[in-house]
Amino acid sequence: MRLEGTLIVCEECGLAHRWHGLGHGAVARCTRCDAVLDRSHRLSIDGILALTVAAAAIYLVAINAPLLTLTLRGPSEQASLIDAIRYAWTDGEPIIAVVAGITALVAPAAFVALRLYVLFPLSAGFKAPGFAWCVRMLHQADRWNMVEVFTVGVLLSLVRLAGLAHASPGPGLFALGGLTVLFASIQSAGLKRLWWQVE
Amino acid sequence: MLLGCESCGLVSPAVAVDDPTLVQECPRCGHVLVATKPHALQRTWAFVVAAAVLYIPANALPVMVTTQALQRDEHTLLGGIHELWLDGSWGLSIIVFIASIAVPVLKIAVLGLLAWTVRHKPHWRRLERARLYRLVETVGHWSMLDVYVVVLLAATVRFGALASASPGPGLISFAAVVVLTMLATWSFDPRLIWRDAADGRAV
Repeated sequence: MRLEGTLIVCEECGLAHRWHGLGHGAVARCTRCDAVLDRSHRLSIDGILALTVAAAAIYLVAINAPLLTLTLRGPSEQASLIDAIRYAWTDGEPIIAVVAGITALVAPAAFVALRLYVLFPLSAGFKAPGFAWCVRMLHQADRWNMVEVFTVGVLLSLVRLAGLAHASPGPGLFALGGLTVLFASIQSAGLKRLWWQVE
Repeated sequence: MLLGCESCGLVSPAVAVDDPTLVQECPRCGHVLVATKPHALQRTWAFVVAAAVLYIPANALPVMVTTQALQRDEHTLLGGIHELWLDGSWGLSIIVFIASIAVPVLKIAVLGLLAWTVRHKPHWRRLERARLYRLVETVGHWSMLDVYVVVLLAATVRFGALASASPGPGLISFAAVVVLTMLATWSFDPRLIWRDAADGRAV
């Protein structure tokens, strides 16, 4: 647990503050630039671990299951997240495939995998080898993960396709929606909290 | 002066006072601690200018090429928004307009303004500038929306000559603009806004 009177430095303006514990639902803000310093958080390490395990299962569905199905006078086409990125690669836009692949496929995978690697040992009471490096990489994975934008992209594509042919949502879309919600709740715990546990 | 670790949150005293190029290591997790991000302004300007230049082909060239009943059509960013508007999907066309046009322009303009004011107007409206930075950081990645839509349309509309869609040359420029503006945001150091500022709310 974080101790009373611990120093926190505001990441956005560099001003130092003393931490005095947060009531339920409270948010501590920087007195100078109003940036969020810390939020109270209900989930324990075990709680975050449980959500991450769920996210891992849903991630596998979200990338493999069809996101949408299009039927045009008989023949129909469907595509999953992996298909979409593979088609972008083979149809001559490898740069687009790489950008979409990193932000919608690789970063979310790292988001889940590194958290699992760090959280399982933490909940058992010890620090995984390479803990510090993993937390640093998790900061990067959080930055580049754009699953929520991709989810809205699928919805938008559905609407745009509706004018052309019969378009229907697939199970992958629902999995993406679930993944967006899980990621948001896992991320709200913040990564610095992980360090409180190893002290 | 105190430095907070961005990775683990531990606060360490700076080994030198008033040295903006100071680089040291966090004693707990080994992450680099810097007084200000290295060459923050130069890097921000470089990414912002590159993004502004690429924004021109991103808008001028088609982002998607479609074929429907043997008729080939090229769609630009603005053209796609216009089509949505004509189809009666006003809400959607506004969402796409915000994500593809308003956010990139806002990011380029705001980051240019922030980098310029650090040098030339350091005392001007610090709190508002800090809030602008936070806004740009939060909404930045939503511009990727149109890239995903084109990727998805190209992956599902695959009926040969009957109907097909594929990414156009403008899409690469647009994706580059999105990535470059994100890199520009992370290169900028918001602590520069507060250089020589007094503590507390009085600005």
